[in-house]
Amino acid sequence: MDQNTLISLSGLDRADLPRILRELPFGVAVLDAERRTLFLNRALESLTGYNTADVAGVYCRHVLRGSFCLHDCPRQPQSGSCAPEACSEAREGTLVNRHRRKIPVRLTSLPVLDREGKLLCTLDVLEDLSALKDMETRLSVSASPGQMVGRCAVMEHLLRILPAVAQSDSSVLLTGESGTGKDLLAESLHRFSPRARESFVRVNATPMPEALLDAELFGQVEGPGGVPRPGKFQLAQNGTLYLSEIADMPLAQQGRLLRLLDEKAVVPAGGERPMHLNVRVVAASGRDPEEMVKAGLLREDLFHRLNAVRLHLPPLRERGEDINFLLAHYLKIFAAKFRKQVLGFSSEAEALLTSYDYPGNVRELRNMVEYAVMVCADEVIRPEHLPTHLRLPRPASMPHAAPAPLRGKPAGVHKPVRNKA
Amino acid sequence: MGKKILVTLYRDEVAPRFDLCAEVLLVTVDATGHEVRRQDLVLAHSSADDLCDLILDREVAAVITGGIEEEHYHYLRWKRVEVVDGVAGLAAEALALYLRGELSPGAILFPRLGHD
Repeated sequence: MDQNTLISLSGLDRADLPRILRELPFGVAVLDAERRTLFLNRALESLTGYNTADVAGVYCRHVLRGSFCLHDCPRQPQSGSCAPEACSEAREGTLVNRHRRKIPVRLTSLPVLDREGKLLCTLDVLEDLSALKDMETRLSVSASPGQMVGRCAVMEHLLRILPAVAQSDSSVLLTGESGTGKDLLAESLHRFSPRARESFVRVNATPMPEALLDAELFGQVEGPGGVPRPGKFQLAQNGTLYLSEIADMPLAQQGRLLRLLDEKAVVPAGGERPMHLNVRVVAASGRDPEEMVKAGLLREDLFHRLNAVRLHLPPLRERGEDINFLLAHYLKIFAAKFRKQVLGFSSEAEALLTSYDYPGNVRELRNMVEYAVMVCADEVIRPEHLPTHLRLPRPASMPHAAPAPLRGKPAGVHKPVRNKA
Repeated sequence: MGKKILVTLYRDEVAPRFDLCAEVLLVTVDATGHEVRRQDLVLAHSSADDLCDLILDREVAAVITGGIEEEHYHYLRWKRVEVVDGVAGLAAEALALYLRGELSPGAILFPRLGHD
C-alpha cells in the first residue's frame, strides 16, 4: 500500500488541518521558509498573548521571543537536505510573552516537506513547562542541604562530600558536640538521598521501660485494640531512620538494631516471624563513640557496623572564620523574620561575639543573634543588645561549661576566636 | 534640555528580548528632538540586571525594546525611565517613530499579511 492510498483511505487529504491544529492542547505555530508566522493555534495565542491576525507575516523571533530564537534558532534548510527527524530536535528555554511573563517552554521544530522533499512550512510545537519547573524548584529546594551553611575548610569539605555520602546506602555515624548541627546533617543526608521521597523518622531512645521501648522501636504484633502497631523502624520503611543519640539506647535494643543492619529484618514485639525492612540508618552521638565502647555504653560490633561512614561536625570554636559568616547569615534571617531594618553589628558587639567561645555551638550563636535582633531598636546591634552573660567579664575561675570533648580534642581548652576583620 | 534614548539591538532590529540583548544603540537628542550623538555599545554579556544598571548609569530617559520581564519593566518605570516595550521592527524605524511621538508599546512595525 503506497502513501497516496494511505492518505486517501484515511481522509487526511480532505482534513481540516487548521481546525485540528487550533484545538491541540499545546502551542503550535506554522511558519514559512523564512520563519515568518503564518498561523498560531489557540494554545499558543494564549501562551504568547498574540492573535494570528496581529502577527501574521512577522518573524517568529518577535512573536515567540524564545531564548532559543537569538542564539540557537532552529532554522530549517530550504530544501529537505536533512532528515526530518534530525531537524526536529527539542530544545528547552524560555519565552517572554506580551504580558511580560517569562515562561519556561520546550520547543520542537518540525519541518513539513512535500513529496519531493521540498520544505513547505515548519511546525513549531511549544509546550508550557511552568508546572514542571515549579515542581522541580519545589523539589530541589526541599532537597537542598537544609540550613547547613559554612565557609571554613572543614565545613566546605563536609558540604562537598554530602551529596555523595547521601547517594550511598551505607550507615552513617555523625559525631559532634551538642548544637553543631547533627540533626540538620542527618536530615540533609536523607533529603539528598534516593530515599528523599520516603519517610525520615527520628528516634530518640530516651530512657523508658525496655518492653515499651521495644514496641516503640520495633512495633507490636498485637497493639491496642488487637491491631498490629508499627514501630519507628516500620514507619521508616524505604526511608531513613535517624537515631539521635545512639548511646542512649539500651544494649538489648542495640543488639536488635545490629540484627536489622545485618539481616535487614526486625521481629516485632510479641512476634516470631522477622519482618523484612529496607531502612537506611543514620546514628549520631555527641560523645566520643570509642570512649562509649570502652565504657560499655555502646556495643562494639554495632559501632563498627554504624561507622561505615563517619562525619564529624567541628565545634564552632574551631570554625573561627565561620563566626562572622554565621553572624551575618542569622542576622539576615532574623531581621527578615522580625521585619526589622537591622543592618549589622557595631565593632564592640562584633568583638564580643567573635571572641566568645560558644559552648552551645551554632545553636547558641543563632539564639544570641535572634535575641539581639529582637531587642535591637536601631539599625546596628550594640553590646547592650546582646545577652547579659556575654557582656559581663568572665571570672577566670568560671570557664564556660563545655560538653565532654571528643577524642583528640584537648579538654577544657577554648581557643579565643580571632575576628577576621 | 536633551535626553538619551536606548534601543536594544538584534542585528538591525529591536531586540526581541531585553534580557538577551547583547548590543544597544544609545542616542542623545537635544531639546528640539534632533540627534546630537549616537553610540553603538556591545555588552560584555546578556543580562537584564546589568542592562538596567547601564540604563541608570547613563541616565537614559527612554528605552525601546521587545519583550521585557515585568520585574525589570517596573524597576525601570520606578526609576522614572520611560519603557516602550513589545516593539517588533527595525531599530531605525522604531527610533524615528519614537522621536515623532508615534511609537507605542506593542507596536509591530514589520509588514504583516492581510494588513496594508
